[in-house]
Amino acid sequence: MTPAWKRRLAFTRMGRWYTGLTIGIGLAATNTGNNLLFLVLGLLLASIIVSGILSEQTLKGVHLERRLPAVATAGQPALIGLRARNGKSRAPSFSLEIRERGGDVAGHGFLVVLPARESGEVAYRFVPQRRGLHRFRQLEIATRAPFGLFEKSRPLDVPGEMVVFPRAVPAPPLSAQALARAGEQPEDRIGAGLEVHSLRDHRPGEDSRSIHWKSTARAGRLIAVDREQERRRRICVVLDQRRLRGEALERAVEQAASLVVRELEGGAEVSLAVAGDFLAAGSGEAHRCAALRLLALLEERGADAAPPRPEAEAAVIEVRE
Amino acid sequence: MRFPGARRPTLLQAQRWAGTLTAIFAFVACAVSGEMGAVMVTLFPLALAGASLGGARFRGRAQWAWTALLGGALLIFAAQVLAGHLDVVLAAALFAELLCIHRLWHRRSGRDEVILLLLSLLLLCAGAALAAELAFGFAFLAFAVSGTWALALTHLRSAIEAGRGPAGSAALLDSRRIATPALFAGLAALALAGIAGAAVVFFAFPRVTIGGLRRTSRHAPVAGLGDRVDLSQHGTVADDPRVALRVRLDPEPEGGPRDLAMHWRARTLSHWTGQGWRSQGAAIPAMRLPQRGPGRPSAVLGADIEIVGSFADGVVLTPEGWPVSVDFRRPGSPRPPAQRLYRNGAGDLFYQPVDGNDLRYFVAVDRDEPDLQALRGRGGQYPPWLAPDLEVPALDARVQALAQRLGGGKDPADAVAAIERWLGTALRYTRELPGEVADPVADFLFVRRAGHCELFSSAMVLMLRSLGIPARNVTGYFGGRRTGAGYYAVRAGDAHSWVEVYFPGAGFVRFDPTPASARGSAQEGLRARAVLLWDGLQQRWRAFIVEYDLITQARAMRRIAQLVDETGRRLAGKGNAPGGRARVTAMVLAVVLIGAGVIVLLRRWGGRRQRRGSFALTADQERAVRLWRVARTMLRRSGMETAPATTPRELARRMPAAGEVAVLYSDARWGFSPLSASTARAALKRLRAALREQVATDRAA
Repeated sequence: MTPAWKRRLAFTRMGRWYTGLTIGIGLAATNTGNNLLFLVLGLLLASIIVSGILSEQTLKGVHLERRLPAVATAGQPALIGLRARNGKSRAPSFSLEIRERGGDVAGHGFLVVLPARESGEVAYRFVPQRRGLHRFRQLEIATRAPFGLFEKSRPLDVPGEMVVFPRAVPAPPLSAQALARAGEQPEDRIGAGLEVHSLRDHRPGEDSRSIHWKSTARAGRLIAVDREQERRRRICVVLDQRRLRGEALERAVEQAASLVVRELEGGAEVSLAVAGDFLAAGSGEAHRCAALRLLALLEERGADAAPPRPEAEAAVIEVRE
Repeated sequence: MRFPGARRPTLLQAQRWAGTLTAIFAFVACAVSGEMGAVMVTLFPLALAGASLGGARFRGRAQWAWTALLGGALLIFAAQVLAGHLDVVLAAALFAELLCIHRLWHRRSGRDEVILLLLSLLLLCAGAALAAELAFGFAFLAFAVSGTWALALTHLRSAIEAGRGPAGSAALLDSRRIATPALFAGLAALALAGIAGAAVVFFAFPRVTIGGLRRTSRHAPVAGLGDRVDLSQHGTVADDPRVALRVRLDPEPEGGPRDLAMHWRARTLSHWTGQGWRSQGAAIPAMRLPQRGPGRPSAVLGADIEIVGSFADGVVLTPEGWPVSVDFRRPGSPRPPAQRLYRNGAGDLFYQPVDGNDLRYFVAVDRDEPDLQALRGRGGQYPPWLAPDLEVPALDARVQALAQRLGGGKDPADAVAAIERWLGTALRYTRELPGEVADPVADFLFVRRAGHCELFSSAMVLMLRSLGIPARNVTGYFGGRRTGAGYYAVRAGDAHSWVEVYFPGAGFVRFDPTPASARGSAQEGLRARAVLLWDGLQQRWRAFIVEYDLITQARAMRRIAQLVDETGRRLAGKGNAPGGRARVTAMVLAVVLIGAGVIVLLRRWGGRRQRRGSFALTADQERAVRLWRVARTMLRRSGMETAPATTPRELARRMPAAGEVAVLYSDARWGFSPLSASTARAALKRLRAALREQVATDRAA
């Protein structure tokens, strides 16, 4: 936890020149006893003091928060929002630079002015180079206001985490065996599929769309049709990472991710089996995120870890190195 | 502040204007010294105008030519300095001016602007070394304000360029919504704070000087009263409002009159040339001044006199009376004075060396002069050394006849009084000069019957000498106008001429035949007032700024300590009780602490009121906020970091132990559910227990 009073002060390039000149003028004034040089020295020193007070005033009362994107994928740009709120009642803050400090991500944003009791937001572009957990620790708010002589900064604890999904790569083509099992499979029970299961009398109040018009015409009364329940295609992506290390593991994870995405987009229910973990079959955006999250956080495992357990009823696609 | 064209400037325009203004004021601070020369003084405004009109066309071009020019100038200045023809500070100032001009013609980036500001600062420093004038003070103030604008706006520009890149910054730099009058006013207020801080630093910074590289003073042309008088000049006596002397009298004249009726004696002119007077006799060093007679002087007047540099021609001016002592040493200064006192046979006082700077000295005179009654009956036996003052030139017979008619056969004292009275009443004062006439005195007495003070005094001297009474013409000043700065200003137009007559046993006694109403100058115009006002400000500037040294500083500190002591005694109600300073210090500390406490309370109260004003919380809601804060602190202390943006529900999902608190907080804070203190306490208690258990489990794992 960083204390709220902690500040860091650094010279800017101009500040170094300015300070050097101030020291030089001070020496000249002391040497010659020229009061007008003392006057100039007084102005320069006073400017430094005023600069210190104002920069403190600028940093004071500013609260920060980070806005992380819902989804981030390795190799693709993500925008990270930095929101600053000026809690002071009257004084605006000028020339604020907000930057990441101490975490896995580097980035910064600049706000020219932040009026009193208002908020401002800037965003920086971040391209994650790896999958997995990215930690954010602190945000540093810095200002060179009002004269650009010194940079005063104040670190604020704004911890956060962002899971970066594996890099999107083209999915490998399916094998002939897998292709043969592709498509929806009917089940012998009534459902909402396309195939006809049985015909029966239409019940009053039933949806008119269930009427089978040809049979109705033949029978001379309203005949309804029951359709078969169709089960979605079930795919289980299997990744055994026990023997995979480094780049090989990364490539395998990326392939697994691309397979999951492709199959989900193709309408299948996808389960994911990895060494030591299993994600039950599902579909939709939430399931996609859960699968990619699991893959994003996948770590190397030893040979003694439990092997992947593929779903019995699903077509298995095994990711190989 | 309204800008031309009723449009606000863009940020970029405002920044450039501020930078230009800063450079201009720095140049003015340097130029008011008068040492830069006409060419360099003219060059800057011309270059500035050129840069404004056509700078964009030449920007970045012909760099080699600029480099060659600057290099050449540097070599020339260096050669002149080495040859002893140019002062090194002046050379630095001239070169800084050229660098400023170069930068004004090449302002492309924020970096150029920063360099321009640093060069302007150097130019200001050079001005501080060159000039001690009040005009520098005004330029300095203007520099402080414009420099603050320029520094802040240049920083803003650089920050925008660095933070947003060239493409992203263009819109902001061209925006007319940033450089608002409010911003300029705010920055000006900042500059005032800086100036106030500068004043504090200036007065408190210890004035310990090494004195290694002192700059020698420049020699300025001197226009004193001169050692001769020519009565045959044409034209009109000009009323020169320039201040020649600044005088503080001790004791102060009774009633503090606005105009002082005082003769300021410069020198005697005894030798008649036919058309005027000239002085004679060389001066010798005077260790001590001769005393008028035995016994201590009864009425001593002290005068702290400052002769303005351009009128300091080596003559020591003294007020009416017999000079008792002249001291060139500055009060309190341990250094011996540079000047030495000289005296000639006529009793005129001089000093050497004459360096063209202002000269300050203290002179004491015995004002006890004999009246007319005391001068009667002293006879007509004069010592031989008075021969030059009895010398009678070839005079118009009418002059002699008039002298005989007025004073013939009378006691010398009565004769002198009669001639003085007649001249002052029968003749008229005019500033019109007679021009070239054969006998200016006869022309004055019998033809024009009007003239200026030199004609009055010359006529009286010649008439007295024709009667065998030793007399001489004296030049100096008459008058003195009180100024707001607490001194009397004697101006160049107050130059005057009068007569000294010798009486055995009494020495030379002053008589003034010029009508009293015509003595001195008649300067009441706007210019004369402006000159006096400027001089008063200049004196204050010099007293408080230019001549502020270790002694003055120590005196000021002692005075402050005395004031503190006195205040302490008064507060304690004891006249001479010890420990007054400690008491005041304690009281000041107490006041500061109480003040700080009041400020803190007011701020808290203000903040609470503000919060309530924006969205008033109920007691339950406030309790919920407090509960949430405490819970988060407990979680943090247990090693569970939570981002500020984490919502209560999210926290509850991540940390089931905090679930109850999260629900209570959400329901009470946002759902307006009641939350009693006991419920909140119980929830916290359960959270604490759960956290302890979790920490123990973690440790065991």
